[in-house]
Amino acid sequence: MDFVILSLTMMAIGIYGLLTKRDLLKVFMSVELITTGATLNFVMLTSSLGKGLGEAFLILAFSTDTVISGVVLALLVIVCKKYGTSDINEILKTEQKEETL
Amino acid sequence: MIFEIISTGLLISACLAIFLDEAIYSVSALACTFFFTSLLYLLNDAIYVAIFQFAVAVGTLAILFLSGEMLSTKSENKPSVNKLLILIFAGALISIPTILLSISNPSIVGSGIAFEEALWDLRGMDVVFQGLVLLTVALGTAIILYEKKRRA
Repeated sequence: MDFVILSLTMMAIGIYGLLTKRDLLKVFMSVELITTGATLNFVMLTSSLGKGLGEAFLILAFSTDTVISGVVLALLVIVCKKYGTSDINEILKTEQKEETL
Repeated sequence: MIFEIISTGLLISACLAIFLDEAIYSVSALACTFFFTSLLYLLNDAIYVAIFQFAVAVGTLAILFLSGEMLSTKSENKPSVNKLLILIFAGALISIPTILLSISNPSIVGSGIAFEEALWDLRGMDVVFQGLVLLTVALGTAIILYEKKRRA
């Protein structure tokens, strides 16, 4: 059992979702999975080495991540309300149409 | 054995979170992912991080549920059993290398130095981060070039 491979697999799933999914909410969830995979690796490393300072830094990273999530979700809702869809392709098409007009 | 079961559950729920179409079901799967992560931290004696992860996950999920409900197009399509089973099987398949393989072998890094020690104490983490930054820049450049070529 290796936590490095586990976190790498989680990051790979997240990166796949980030590259293939066109829904804004799915993209955001993929980013969440990537950050969870990365923090999982760091938590397992620090706890196996018995370094409390690492865990303290990770708690700081968690709180920053949550604040960023809140801001991104607020922006996401605004974008979806403006364009009426959460599909990236649709939003780009609407934007291009507005530019040509 | 408990670690293997939890990591399998973690990867299955991560797969479900990405590949399920309905927003509410994917957010529920993401909730399972956060729960399993928190459980892994707890079992690895990182109690404070586990509690914090749990609290943060509850907040994030509450917002995600609300925004998912606001943004979804109100189509109450339940995921088909076949798709669900395929996703669970794929998640279990992906978790096999996690259970069977191990790269935390001291002989990989050098004599007497553990892989974790090299990453944390010997600044190996910096090298990894630099690699990640370079990879991100390369990926971004590739995407920009691809988009330019497509529009031309």
